[in-house]
Amino acid sequence: MQLQRALTPSRKADLLTELVQTVSGLLLVGFLWTHMLFVGSILLGVEAFNRLADFMEQFRLLDIAVVFVILTAGAHVGAVLRRIPSRWQEQKIVWKHARTIKHNDTWSWIFQAVTGSAMLILITIHVFVVVYAGIDSKLSADRVHSWMLAFYAVLLVLAEYHASVGLYRALVKWGVVKRHSLKRVLTVITICTIGLGLASLGVFFALGGS
Amino acid sequence: MSSRQLTLHIFRYNPETPKQQPTTQTYLLQEEPGMTLFIALNKIREEQDPGLKFDFVCRAGICGSCGMLINGRPTLACRTLTKDLPANITLMPLPVFKLLGDLSVDTGTWFRDVSVRTEAWVHTDKAFIPDAQEERMDNETAQQIYEVERCIECGCCIGGCATANIKPNFIGAAGVNRLSRFMIDPRDERNEQEYFDVVGSEDGIFGCIGLMACDDNCPIGIPLQGQLAYVRRKMALAGWRR
Repeated sequence: MQLQRALTPSRKADLLTELVQTVSGLLLVGFLWTHMLFVGSILLGVEAFNRLADFMEQFRLLDIAVVFVILTAGAHVGAVLRRIPSRWQEQKIVWKHARTIKHNDTWSWIFQAVTGSAMLILITIHVFVVVYAGIDSKLSADRVHSWMLAFYAVLLVLAEYHASVGLYRALVKWGVVKRHSLKRVLTVITICTIGLGLASLGVFFALGGS
Repeated sequence: MSSRQLTLHIFRYNPETPKQQPTTQTYLLQEEPGMTLFIALNKIREEQDPGLKFDFVCRAGICGSCGMLINGRPTLACRTLTKDLPANITLMPLPVFKLLGDLSVDTGTWFRDVSVRTEAWVHTDKAFIPDAQEERMDNETAQQIYEVERCIECGCCIGGCATANIKPNFIGAAGVNRLSRFMIDPRDERNEQEYFDVVGSEDGIFGCIGLMACDDNCPIGIPLQGQLAYVRRKMALAGWRR
């Protein structure tokens, strides 16, 4: 026993941070998938999309969603930052290690950290744009029919990948599932959600051109 | 069947001459039927380079001293057949552990330190009576303990773990697995809070980020993912009740 340990007897903080990371991550995955389904309503037509958007504005669901995302994503970022190697030396070790042992789940964690960092910037922009402009099929279509198409395509792929790998890791760590079958299921889900997102973007792009 | 010529690229470094940079030395060797890396390395040492350092004791996957990175993958050299490898073979020592030279590392000091820090021994207040008959344990519990106690402390799970590579105090899968053995053992009288004290932190189970290189690389196939998850759930409950 050392003095610093004696003065901090309850070492609950590590557990709590881990729980914040896992719970916020799971909530964000749920949010992302719901979000992509809602955006996918454009596939049913402009009318369906606008009605859903009106409904959300009417009952202040949009405001709630924005507050929820800011709080949850903030908590998630705060909790996962401790996982990203902060020293240059550690960064070099981790990259070299992944290249040496050629292990898929080690690489996927590095991509998880990279996509997460990129998303922090992209999502901030995305939330600002939506909050200032509101949701309407015309607005979205005009936005997508510009250089912003690349922005949304990149954000879509990064978000779905990050969510899928994160969900995989959380379930694996807490031991709820068989690892290899889970990986297959999540790969299918990720391909479907990316497909749905790209299809929605395609419809918006076409609408914006007309 | 004509035998292949193997090219072995072996990491060379002597910590006693730190001015000499680590190098990779190449050896050529004719493959033989049933050749393991144990045989290959001994042949090289006998016929080509008596100064090459590597560890073997049992050559049968029991002692755990020949763990190394074989084409990057942490595993036991004695249980690796050259016929399962390409003709180009790269050998490096396990990371994390103290490098003694070339392929030889000191796993003992690391494991000893983890055992001491996690208090990996049976804690009991019962006095030991040498003449008394040993208390019986039910078969299922004994089997569970046996399953995790098969660990030979080769260190492959630690060398493969990115977290262990950057966090010197992280006890890794071997450490968590070893402690889980005492959690199952009814003779250990520690309560969950006492276990939480030694493993419920970033240096213990909550430092694991779920890369599962340990589970994928354990040469004797201990179900490490399951053991890590078991300890994680147990320690989460214990920590919650604090």
